Amino acid sequence: MTNVLVDETSNNLNQPGEPESWRRFFSFSTDHKVIGIQYIVTAFFFFLVGGIFAMVIRGELITPEADLVDRTVYNAMFTLHGTVMLFLWTFPVLSGLANYLVPLMIGARDMAFPRLNAVAFWMVPIFGVVLMGSFLAPGGPSQAGWWAYPPVSLQNPSGALINGQFLWLLAVALSGVSSIMGAVNIVTTIVRMRAPGMTFFKMPIFVWAVMSAQIIQLFGLPALTAGAVMLLFDLSLGTSFFDPLKGGDPILFQHFFWFYSHPAVYVIILPIFGIFSELFPVYARKPLFGYKVVAISSLIIVGLSAVVWVHHMFASGTPGWMRMLFMFSTMLIAVPTGIKVFAWVATIWGGKLRLTSAMLFALGGLIMFVFAGITGIMLAAVPVDIHVNNTYFVVGHFHYVIYGATVMGVYAALYHWFPKMTGRMYNEGLGKLHFVLTFIGANLNFFPMHPLGLEGMPRRVASYDPEFAFWNVIASLGAFLLGISTLPFILNMVGSWIQGEKAPNNPWRAIGIEWLVSSPPSHENFEVLPVVVASPYGYGKSDPLVSNADDLEVAHEHH
Amino acid sequence: MKIRTVLILAAVATALAAISFWVGQSAYGWMPPQASAESILVDRLFSFLVTVGTFIFLGVFVTLAYAVLFQQAGRYDSSDGPHIEGNVTLEIVWTAIPLALVLWIAVYSFQIYDQMSILGPMEHVHMGMATAEAAPVVQGSADSDADVPIEVLARQWTWEFRYPGQNVSSTELHLPSNQRATLLLKSEDVIHGFFIPAFRIKQDVIPNEEITFEFTPIREGKYRLRDSQYSGTYFAAMQADVVVESSDAYREWLTSAAKKPPVVAYNEAFEDYRQISEKGGSAGWVTVPPAEPPLVNYSGSPLTRE
Amino acid sequence: MSTTNLDSSLTDEAVLQASGHDEPDNRMFGFIVFLLSESVIFLSFFVGYIVYKTAATDWLPLGVEGLDVREPAINTVVLVSSSFVIYFAERYLHANNIWGFRIFWLLTMAMGSYFLYGQAVEWSGLEFGITDGLFGGTFYLLTGFHGLHVLTGVLLQLIMLGRSFIPGNYDGGEFGVAATSLFWHFVDVIWIVLFLLIYIWQ
Repeated sequence: MTNVLVDETSNNLNQPGEPESWRRFFSFSTDHKVIGIQYIVTAFFFFLVGGIFAMVIRGELITPEADLVDRTVYNAMFTLHGTVMLFLWTFPVLSGLANYLVPLMIGARDMAFPRLNAVAFWMVPIFGVVLMGSFLAPGGPSQAGWWAYPPVSLQNPSGALINGQFLWLLAVALSGVSSIMGAVNIVTTIVRMRAPGMTFFKMPIFVWAVMSAQIIQLFGLPALTAGAVMLLFDLSLGTSFFDPLKGGDPILFQHFFWFYSHPAVYVIILPIFGIFSELFPVYARKPLFGYKVVAISSLIIVGLSAVVWVHHMFASGTPGWMRMLFMFSTMLIAVPTGIKVFAWVATIWGGKLRLTSAMLFALGGLIMFVFAGITGIMLAAVPVDIHVNNTYFVVGHFHYVIYGATVMGVYAALYHWFPKMTGRMYNEGLGKLHFVLTFIGANLNFFPMHPLGLEGMPRRVASYDPEFAFWNVIASLGAFLLGISTLPFILNMVGSWIQGEKAPNNPWRAIGIEWLVSSPPSHENFEVLPVVVASPYGYGKSDPLVSNADDLEVAHEHH
Repeated sequence: MKIRTVLILAAVATALAAISFWVGQSAYGWMPPQASAESILVDRLFSFLVTVGTFIFLGVFVTLAYAVLFQQAGRYDSSDGPHIEGNVTLEIVWTAIPLALVLWIAVYSFQIYDQMSILGPMEHVHMGMATAEAAPVVQGSADSDADVPIEVLARQWTWEFRYPGQNVSSTELHLPSNQRATLLLKSEDVIHGFFIPAFRIKQDVIPNEEITFEFTPIREGKYRLRDSQYSGTYFAAMQADVVVESSDAYREWLTSAAKKPPVVAYNEAFEDYRQISEKGGSAGWVTVPPAEPPLVNYSGSPLTRE
Repeated sequence: MSTTNLDSSLTDEAVLQASGHDEPDNRMFGFIVFLLSESVIFLSFFVGYIVYKTAATDWLPLGVEGLDVREPAINTVVLVSSSFVIYFAERYLHANNIWGFRIFWLLTMAMGSYFLYGQAVEWSGLEFGITDGLFGGTFYLLTGFHGLHVLTGVLLQLIMLGRSFIPGNYDGGEFGVAATSLFWHFVDVIWIVLFLLIYIWQ
C-alpha cells in the first residue's frame, strides 16, 4: 500500500516514514537528515559544556574578589567559553539546521557531496576532543581569550611545545577545514540542485540566508587560517610575525583575525534571519513582506560585512582616517538589517498570530535582536566606542545577539521542525515554560552588562572594584536561571522524541516542500522530485506550491 | 490612510518621542562623572544615540506588542491572514529613512570625534598615509613642563608613571586640572589598554611603540585607571588611581615626591603571586610571573577608594 | 501517477538533470568554489608579506644581500611550461589517446618534481632560516606553503596516472583529470605572483 498524501494541508495522520533507528545516528551516515541531527545534538552537548564554563564565570563574578577559582582557571574559562560556544555550538548547530533543511526545502534528495558532508561532521567531535584535551596539556588550556591576541598568546609560560595554545590553534584549524568543506557543499547544492521550477527568487529565505552565510565562510575563513598559521609558527617555531620584541606586528594579527571574525558574526546571524523569515509567515498566516528585498538584503550584508572589521580595533592604534572609514561602513550595514526587521514586523502586523513555542522564541529573539542592533550602532560611533570598547557593554551587546537572537532563534527552529525531524510532537507546555525562563534569564543576565560597561568595568576580568557588585549579582542570578532553563528543553526533546504523539506531515499547516512529505521524511526524501510552480509564503491564496504534490511521498519502504 | 489612523499614529509617535527624549536625558546618569573635556562630548553623543535608539526600539516593540495582544488567531479560526506580499512605497520609505538616519549619526559622530582630538601622531604602520593629526585644545597652560609628556609604562601587571621634567616616578597618576595632559604610552611586554572611564578615553599600549596620547581633565577628584586589553593572568588586578588636582596641589605633589627616596611600589599582582608561591603553588596552572614592582618615589596604596 | 504526460516528461528529464549527487558538473563546480576559497589563504599571506616589506626599516637580515634570481627563474620557466604540458595531456585524453595522455602527464609530473627539487636545493643553499626576522619567516612560509601545494599536485597526478590503467576509469567522465589539471594551473598562477613579489620586487 502506498502512502500518498492527498492534501498538503491535511491533518490526516499519514503513516510516517519509519523513524531512523538510533544506531544510524552514531554511524558514518551520508544521509543529510541524519548528519543534520548529528550536528545538532553534538552541538547541543557542547552548548552545555560552554554553559558550564559560563556558570563558573558568573559564579566568580557574583563577588568582586577572585575567590572562586584561581585566576589562571578563570582566564581559561572565559577563553574556552567563547571558543566552545562559537566553534563547537553555534557554527555546528547552524550547519546542522542547514544540512537538514536545505535539500528538503529546495526539493533535492541530498546534498551535492554526501560523503564530504559526513567527513565534515565527524571532524566536529574530533576537534572538540582536541580542545577539551587541552585541559591536560602542560600549562592548561589556552588562557589568551578566544581572539588569541599575541603577544599574550605567545607567552607559553609552561615552555612546552604541545601546550594549550597549540592545541587551541589545532582545534580551530580543524574547525576551519570542516567549515570550508561544509560551505563548498552547501553552496554547490543550492546553486546546482534546486528542483525544477525553483528559480533563485522562488527559494525560501532560509536557503538564501544559508547560501549568503556560507559564501562568507568561503572567503573569510582562509584569512583566519593564514593568521592562525603564522601565529602557530610564532608559537612553535620561533618566527617573528607577530612578536613585537622580534620586530613583528601584533596589530597585523588583529587584522587577519577580525577580517574573518567580523563577517563570522553574520555567518551566525544570517541563518537566524532565515529562520525568522520562515517562521513569522507560518505563525501569522501571512506572506513574508517584501520577499525579494529580504532576499537581496542578505547578499548586501555579505558584501558590507567584508569591509567593517576594523571597528573591533578602534582603540588598537589605528589611524584616525581608518576609524572614520570603518565607522561609516559599520553604520551602513544597519540599513539592510533594518529592512529585514521592518519586513518581519510588517509580516506579523495584521496577521492571525498563533503563539506556539516556536513563535514565542522567534518573537523574543526579534526583540532582543533589535535591542542589540541599537547598542551596535552605539558601538559603531567611534567616540562612544573608545569609551566602551573592551568593557562589559560590548559583552552585553553581543550576548543579546548571540543568546537573544541566535540561541532563541535556534530554539524556535528546533521546536518548529521537531515534528518533521523526529515524527513526534513536542510538549507545548514545557516549550512555553522554556521560553519564559529563557527570556527572563537572558535579559537578567545580559542587560546589566550595559550599565556595567558604561560605568567602566572591563571585560575578561576575574575580579572588579566593589562598585560594580550590584549589577554583577543580578547578571549572575540571570545566568543561573538560564542554566536551569535548559532543563525543560532537554526533558521535552528527549521525552517527546521517545514517546511524543506521532506527528502528521504538516502539523503547522505550513507552506514549504519539506511539509509535503512524511514526518520524518523517507531516506531519499522524494519519490519523484517536486516541480515548483509558485512563490514561497503563499498564505492567503490557495495556489499549490508544487504541481505534483501527490507524487512526492516515497512508496512504503523497508529499512 | 484614514485620518483616524494618521492621528493615532501621530499620537503614539509623539508619546514615544517624549519617552525617548526623557530616556536620552537620563542616559547622562548612566555614565561616570564627567571628569574630562572629552567626556562632555562623548556623553552628548551617547545621549543622542540613546534617544534615537529608544525611539526605534519602542516603535518596534509597541507594534509587536499590539499585534501579539490583539491580533491572535481565533481559537477555531484556521483561515489565513490577508495575502499582502509587500508595499513598494513603504519599503522605499523604510530604506530611505534609516539610510538618512545612519548618515546623520555618522556625520555627528565624526564631528564629535574631530572635536575630541585626543590622539597625537602615532608611529603605527598605515602604508604611508597621513594620520588624523589632532590639534590640541588651546588653553592657558600654567606649568612650564606641560609640553614634556608624562611617561606611562605598562608591564605585566603594573602601571608606572614617570615625570621626566621633575625626575618623579609614581604608581599613582597625578594630573593638573584644566590643563591638557600629554602622555607617552609604552609597554614592555604585551598589549595593554590605557583606560580611564571617568575621562571616556582609551588607547591600547603596544610593545615596541611609543604612543602619544592627549586629553584634558576638568574635574578634581580621584579616578580609576584600568587595563582594558586582556594581558594575562593578573589582568584584572592591573589598576591604578588617577588624581586630578589644582595646579598648585599638583606642583606641590611633584616637588614633595621628588624628594622621597624610591620605594618598592605596592603591586597587587606581585603580592598575590608571592603569597601563592609561599603557600606552595596555586590551584591553577603555571603563569607568567609578574614583573618586579617598580621602584618609585610615590607609591599608590592598596586600598585607595574614598 | 496522476500527472499529465507533459508533466511527467518534464519531471523525468528534470529528475535526470537534478538528481545527480556526484555529477561531474557538480563536482567541478564544488572544486572551483574550493579553489577560490583556497586562493584567499595565499592572498592573505601576500597581503601580510606586502605590509611587512613596506613597513620594514631593516628588511634583509644581517649578512644577507638579497635572493639569487637565476635559479628560481629557471624553476619558474619549468613550472609555467608544465601548465602547457598538462594541457596537452588533457587534449590527448579527450581525443582518447591514452598513451599520449600518459606521456605528457608523466612529463608534467617530472617537471613538477624538478621544481620541488630546485626549491629544496635553493633552500639548502640559503644563509638564513625561518626565524631570521620577518624576511626569513615570510620567505619560507610563502615558498613552503606553495611547495606543499606543488607536492599535493604531483601526488594527485600520480594517483590519476595510476587510475588511467583501470579499465573503464573514464566512463563517468574525466573529473579527476580535469580537477587535477585545474589545481595545477592554480598552483602555477600562485607561483607567478609569488615569484614577482619575492624575487623580482627586491
